[in-house]
Amino acid sequence: MELLDRYLLAVRKHLRWQRQDDIIAELRANLESQLEEKEAALGRPLTQGEAEDWLRELGPPIQVAARYSPQQYLIGPTFFPTYWYVLRMALGWSLAIYAVVSAAIIAAQMLHAGVAADHISQTVADLIAQAIARAPGILISVAAWVTGVFAGLEFATARGLVKLPPIPGMCRDWNPNELPRMEESQSTHGKKPRSYAMAVGEVVFGIFLLTWLLLVPYHPYLLMGPGAAYLESLPYRLAPVWWTFYWWIVALNLVQLGWRFIDLARGTWQGPRTVQNIVSGAMGLIPLVVLLTARDHVYVVLKDRFANQLPVGMSLHEINLWAFRGMLVILVISGLNLLAEIGKAGWGSYRNRVVSGR
Amino acid sequence: MTVADNLFENLKLELRRGCLTLAVLAQLRQEHYGYTLRKALASRGMEIDESTLYPLLRRLESQGLLASEWREEDKRNKRFYRLSTDGEAIFARLLEEWIAINSSIAKIL
Repeated sequence: MELLDRYLLAVRKHLRWQRQDDIIAELRANLESQLEEKEAALGRPLTQGEAEDWLRELGPPIQVAARYSPQQYLIGPTFFPTYWYVLRMALGWSLAIYAVVSAAIIAAQMLHAGVAADHISQTVADLIAQAIARAPGILISVAAWVTGVFAGLEFATARGLVKLPPIPGMCRDWNPNELPRMEESQSTHGKKPRSYAMAVGEVVFGIFLLTWLLLVPYHPYLLMGPGAAYLESLPYRLAPVWWTFYWWIVALNLVQLGWRFIDLARGTWQGPRTVQNIVSGAMGLIPLVVLLTARDHVYVVLKDRFANQLPVGMSLHEINLWAFRGMLVILVISGLNLLAEIGKAGWGSYRNRVVSGR
Repeated sequence: MTVADNLFENLKLELRRGCLTLAVLAQLRQEHYGYTLRKALASRGMEIDESTLYPLLRRLESQGLLASEWREEDKRNKRFYRLSTDGEAIFARLLEEWIAINSSIAKIL
């Protein structure tokens, strides 16, 4: 029957090549037996319409073939909660970083181009609209990367190509004694405690972030996107003090990642992170202080000191001045945040002492 | 199809999934090829789509529960399946489980 041959050929196209012949031979034998019986019952061959109905009942070739594949999902239940958490974190952070970087690029473009005062608002609006139009592409690209990494992990672990080290709390020989203590879980003051998937997600996201951070100096495109080429064409570049700042940021991320990993390994991820938050906040001030104490508050320098001094000298001074003021504001805000965190921790500890003393 | 119908279909599918495996293993205590197995199950009230049954046979075979061989019958090459030794042991345990679940459900109802 020609229609059955065409059907089997279509199914074959969607099967893995190693098993195509075997599966199709078996399917053919089964379907031909069924066809023979149908025709014997009718006492005549199936009409074209009856054959079409029969094949329609069997299902579309792509779906029939898919049933033979060992894996029906891209990311399975083991990885999905962690994947979902990392994806949300990655999208949120990329949007935030993209917004900051876009603002910096727009500011650099305005200063470099020397836009007339009466055209500033129009030009800024155009540049913002362009940046917004590029945002979905960036988010899709981030989502594709995260999904790709997790799909790869799922594929490799499902086929035994990669054996992940036992993740604390997830392997069969987990220890109930390592569950977070009641007072730790309850001391989040009504906040929903971090779930296990969230804790694993934070570690995985931390690894992503650190990798990305280490790649940025060699691939500025990862931070600036197409703006990297534009910044390259500008007559100025970042001062060496940014390297010190950069390595402090790397160190800060490394410490946070290590801490989260230890929390996960010890089973204390649900507990409060008061000390961690305070230490991280204090460490976060160091890179800002490094920048604010830079000699003469120079953050951006001319690529060619002699050739470019006159046309952009004025802009350069303004950039450095505004960068200094901006960082000062950030330092004040971060300092106040840290003080609030310390105050909150102190108040919480005092309240617990009073309550337990009653 | 309403939301309730959809939900019912999904739950029914979940309920049937494990039962199908048990029914196939039980039926393959006697040798069958795909089509006759399907007919034998249907004649006992267990209807299974071709697109579910044939891949299920492959999967059970790759898990070592079934053994198969190609043989000619009625001038056509067919793949015959039967329960393997490991399959027999697993089937016996699954059957015990099934009887226990059935009896529990009967008590609950």
